[in-house]
Amino acid sequence: MARPPPPAILSVGRALPPNHVDQETLIQALSVYWGARHFNVERLADVHRAAKVGGRHLALPLSEYPALDSFQKTNDAFIRVGTDVGEAAIRAGLAAAGLEPGDVDHLWFVTVTGISTPSLDAKLMNRLGLKPSVKRTPIFGLGCLAGAAGLARASDALRAFPREVGVLLSVELCSLTLQRDDASVANLVATGLFGDGAAAVVLAGGERADGALAPRIVATRSVFYPDTEWVMGWDVGDSGFKVVLSAKVPEVIESRVGADVDAFLGEHGLARRDVRHWVAHTGGPKVIEAFRRALDLPAAALARSWRSLQEVGNLSSASVLFVLGDFLDARDAQPGDVGLLAAMGPGFSAELLLLRW
Amino acid sequence: MTEREAAVAREILRMAREELKLEGEPPAPDEPLGARLDSLSLLALVVAVEDRFHLVLTDDDAAHARSLEDLARIVVARAPPERLPPAAAGGAP
Repeated sequence: MARPPPPAILSVGRALPPNHVDQETLIQALSVYWGARHFNVERLADVHRAAKVGGRHLALPLSEYPALDSFQKTNDAFIRVGTDVGEAAIRAGLAAAGLEPGDVDHLWFVTVTGISTPSLDAKLMNRLGLKPSVKRTPIFGLGCLAGAAGLARASDALRAFPREVGVLLSVELCSLTLQRDDASVANLVATGLFGDGAAAVVLAGGERADGALAPRIVATRSVFYPDTEWVMGWDVGDSGFKVVLSAKVPEVIESRVGADVDAFLGEHGLARRDVRHWVAHTGGPKVIEAFRRALDLPAAALARSWRSLQEVGNLSSASVLFVLGDFLDARDAQPGDVGLLAAMGPGFSAELLLLRW
Repeated sequence: MTEREAAVAREILRMAREELKLEGEPPAPDEPLGARLDSLSLLALVVAVEDRFHLVLTDDDAAHARSLEDLARIVVARAPPERLPPAAAGGAP
């Protein structure tokens, strides 16, 4: 019996909270905290400007953040706002794919910025009126990697159900993890870089998607880098999630990713020159540049990642899905085009997906 | 280094060890700091020095302060005197 074609990506719904704040306004607001702790506030402002982020869409109006003085309050806000933006992203994704909530058979949910049980995917079952038979898979802890990893796991599952429809939802409200009493440089860098948003990728099994000009997830690859747990993650404390971020992140990416991508492509008879679309995580200026150097790509190859970083900041797991959505919206891919979607995150790990239009 | 510069250098090493939790053997006074610290650690050290001694380190300072010795010299030259440790303070490694 012939194997069905690989699963396809039909659409990416995106939703941003309504509270857009430009970077300079955020710097002014944060200067109140910095001024009480640091002598040279302008240096900290310069670190924020170096993130090359123009602004962020915040989960809450800026004026409501000072009242968030406990993990319970920030996590309550995560559940409330996360459910709203998650619903909006899924509705947008389904509408773009020409599908209804009742068409969904699988729902994967990834986040690293808040917790709840039942998880947000259960709350969205009720909000969206999804079928009671929907298979739900919440995944916590993969960090920035989870958009790509979730897409890979979704694709694996849909290979077994080629006539079914799945949605991968990423909700990241990074601003709610802000630790205003953490004077560390890692926290300062994270505060300047991370934003809030949700993305929902609508996927169809290979037979269900037959005939559509949509990128197919031909193959996936996970790469775990041993003994690099300390490179990034959370220290979880009474005040919530305190960021762990090492300056080694770009170094690990630059020294390792090139060979991993080459090996992955090589297994499919491909080389870097065959890849027309590079869909890369918007980790930050140093991460994007390390990825570019690792693969010796022209600057233009990652233009969509740079633009997304500038427009909305690093949205953790949702970032690479926002970039993917921009690729789909542009509709400049031709049948047969090859793409590589890549993200890196805590572990330290990389996740690679080979796409073919 | 003068006695006062040596006292400032000792204080910077203490901050690096106790407040910034920077690990490893302390650098020699003339060893390039950039060779020992990654970019985030170096930034953390600069912020801590500015906070402790109440001075602003400029890009020009950064270009000249390659070592602990250089950094201590700039701090003594520019920080308000009341922020500096007494020259005779310390002595412990």
